[in-house]
Amino acid sequence: MVDALTNSLKIAAAGLAAQSMRLQVVSENLANVKSTAASPGGDPYARKTITFEEALDDADGRGEVRVSEISRDKSPFKLELDPSHPAADERGMVKLPNVNPMIELADMREANRSYQANLQVVRQSRDLMTMTIDLLKVNS
Amino acid sequence: MIDKINATSAGLLARVGSGGGSAAAGLPQSDDFASMLSSFVTHAVENVHAGEKAAVDGLSGKAPLQEVVDKVMTAEQSLQAAIAVRDKIVAAYLEISRMNI
Repeated sequence: MVDALTNSLKIAAAGLAAQSMRLQVVSENLANVKSTAASPGGDPYARKTITFEEALDDADGRGEVRVSEISRDKSPFKLELDPSHPAADERGMVKLPNVNPMIELADMREANRSYQANLQVVRQSRDLMTMTIDLLKVNS
Repeated sequence: MIDKINATSAGLLARVGSGGGSAAAGLPQSDDFASMLSSFVTHAVENVHAGEKAAVDGLSGKAPLQEVVDKVMTAEQSLQAAIAVRDKIVAAYLEISRMNI
């Protein structure tokens, strides 16, 4: 099937899937904002990052989006003095995840907006297809 | 012409009733209007079945929501197109039956 409107629908659906994956990564980061290491002095939860790439479908001639990689943020962890914490090292310092809730919230807003944009594409292509089919209808 | 319309309508009903099946079974294999339409309808019925399967998978949590919506919408679109074509055939049939003899 090489109908351009159908392709638009499929591409937008791939965009919806990609943006929901992005939202999943944001929610993982936000949920693990205080996840520390299991052993003293160990590394805590490292922030996850997501990247996208174009996925070409040569048979149908469309370029969709897909998640290329979910990797870890390598920026340094926050250090906090808390000698009573189980994950504290010999100096009493605890490594906290390198998650900044403000950045995650901004990322969530962006994923939200992209999702809405893709939804709008779905709605628009669907309306156009329905209108075209309606041309066939008798008495219209 | 009327024979072909009859054959097409019968094939359409049989296909919808049996829920899919092989293409153009019991229909003329030539490259005429009826076989074109029957392959069109077979395609539509396949889409409807994919939509049903996706809906069931989605309800049991095995398929992503976007995929379910996409498949169900494709099914609905195919059904709408099939209905539009059927209405067109019926209109043509009625038009011929109203002919003054």
